Amino acid sequence: MFKDFREFLAVLEKEGQLVRYADEIVPEPEVRLISRAACDMGSGSSPAVLMDNIRGYKGQRLAVNVHGSWANHALMLGMPKTASLKEQFFELEHRWDKYEEGKVEWIDSDKAPCHEAVLDEGAFNLLELLPCFKINEYDGGFYLSKASVVSKDPDEPDNFDKENVGIYRIQMLDADTLSMQGLPFHDIAIQLRKAEERNEPLPVAICLGMDPVISFMASTPIAYDQSEYKMAAALKGAPVVLTKTTDGKLDVPAGAEFVLEGEIVPRVRIPEGPFGEFPGSYSGARRQVLIKIRRVTHRKDPIFENLYIGRPWGEIDTLGGLNTSISLFKQITETMPEVVAINAMYQHGLTVVIAVNPRFGGYAKSVAFRAASTPHGISYVKNIILVDGDVDPFDLEKVMWAMSTRIRGPQDVFVIPGTPGMPLDPSSEPPGMGVKVVIDATTPVAPERQLRDVRMVCPMPEARKYQDILTDLQKAANKK
Amino acid sequence: MKCIRCGKEDSVHVVAKAPDGSGAWEIYKCDVCNYGWRSSEPAKMLDSSKWDPFFSLIGVDLNKLMIPCPIPPLREK
Repeated sequence: MFKDFREFLAVLEKEGQLVRYADEIVPEPEVRLISRAACDMGSGSSPAVLMDNIRGYKGQRLAVNVHGSWANHALMLGMPKTASLKEQFFELEHRWDKYEEGKVEWIDSDKAPCHEAVLDEGAFNLLELLPCFKINEYDGGFYLSKASVVSKDPDEPDNFDKENVGIYRIQMLDADTLSMQGLPFHDIAIQLRKAEERNEPLPVAICLGMDPVISFMASTPIAYDQSEYKMAAALKGAPVVLTKTTDGKLDVPAGAEFVLEGEIVPRVRIPEGPFGEFPGSYSGARRQVLIKIRRVTHRKDPIFENLYIGRPWGEIDTLGGLNTSISLFKQITETMPEVVAINAMYQHGLTVVIAVNPRFGGYAKSVAFRAASTPHGISYVKNIILVDGDVDPFDLEKVMWAMSTRIRGPQDVFVIPGTPGMPLDPSSEPPGMGVKVVIDATTPVAPERQLRDVRMVCPMPEARKYQDILTDLQKAANKK
Repeated sequence: MKCIRCGKEDSVHVVAKAPDGSGAWEIYKCDVCNYGWRSSEPAKMLDSSKWDPFFSLIGVDLNKLMIPCPIPPLREK
């Protein structure tokens, strides 16, 4: 299995899931348009795109849309690129439980590929080193949209499980200055608060171009005391190889393409943004934290990875779709094993579809309360659709069927106002406040009064083998 | 040089140049509002009169921008 970013790109290329764009292009707007076009090719099988002929950055390599399709997502998991969403969900669900088996291996810092080149303060300019581009035309500047920020808990710097790896939006301001958004419910905000209470800088290592499973975990809302590295190793079924940053403060993937070593300057907030965000709208200009980069390390002939984010559907939606679903699923099924599957793919779970076998009357609504009170759900989960356990929540045609034929408006649809909301959601007003909308499309069970006395037409799992036969017949017909 | 976005005079300086030596573009940054842009962007983005006024920061008090991650009180020693 691939062990780093460039090996995964080789897998994608072999599978026909990576294309090289060799013609000369201008940074604005062509890189944005190419990135957008890759997303528009559809979430099923759109390819990653590698560019190396960007005017002004000639020869420097940029990769986008690496996680941009379910085919690439399946290849990341070592599955056939045709694996369905439901198959990928349950494969992830199975591997998630192996967290404790996730192992880390270490390489000496001076032998790590990510340290093949070391550039000290004054010897690098981030805006020249990274072939950056305006992701959306009115962004406040040039953004790192797929950078994983590594940081430690200042109270427990030796607690590996609490070392955080998270993707946050980062604006590049000049040669060595960045601004970053860490929202109060993000893990890094816990660490930043502790550092700022002491008026101390918070060391960070910003990693670009990582093993795609680590990027996948960096965009996953797991528990604060769970290690993204260990979970990535569990998902891979192979150790994750780490090294120390050159200053020895943080742990980073040894095969990362770039590592920016620096610190968040305490108790400073500077203008940042706007930025075209995942709900499909720009977030306004804000005052955000300031980061100073002290050293940059990179591999030989490094590849800069970034992603298009803005109007959905885009790479951010594929990157954060199933991991958000699994994370919620695991948290809810701790106490509610009747939940069969969760689809939380829509804008980090602003809308979720939960398949559940209700244990007794009203139970599905209790599941909604549970979803709305999970760590991720408190701020993100807004619209909660509940369907019966025999409805595939990833199959929206089936979900619409359930909604069409189950919902009794007065008792099955309700709104809870004045709850936390996701500040980037344009319907969150004021930003950070929201509502929970519950739509219960499950079949009532006792003691709740039943629907009229009807018999459901049963699912036919035995039809599956005929589906395979028909698929083969169609493939043969296409070859003629 | 004047900032395209906040309109502040003499607040802009060059922070990067095309690294391949082609002279294809420069990147500018405003020290007041932190807006960054490239000299080779489409003409519309280089002329503030053609901007969507929604994004202009002219007359906006930058000290009053929202702070999503507030600064906590100092911990007592």
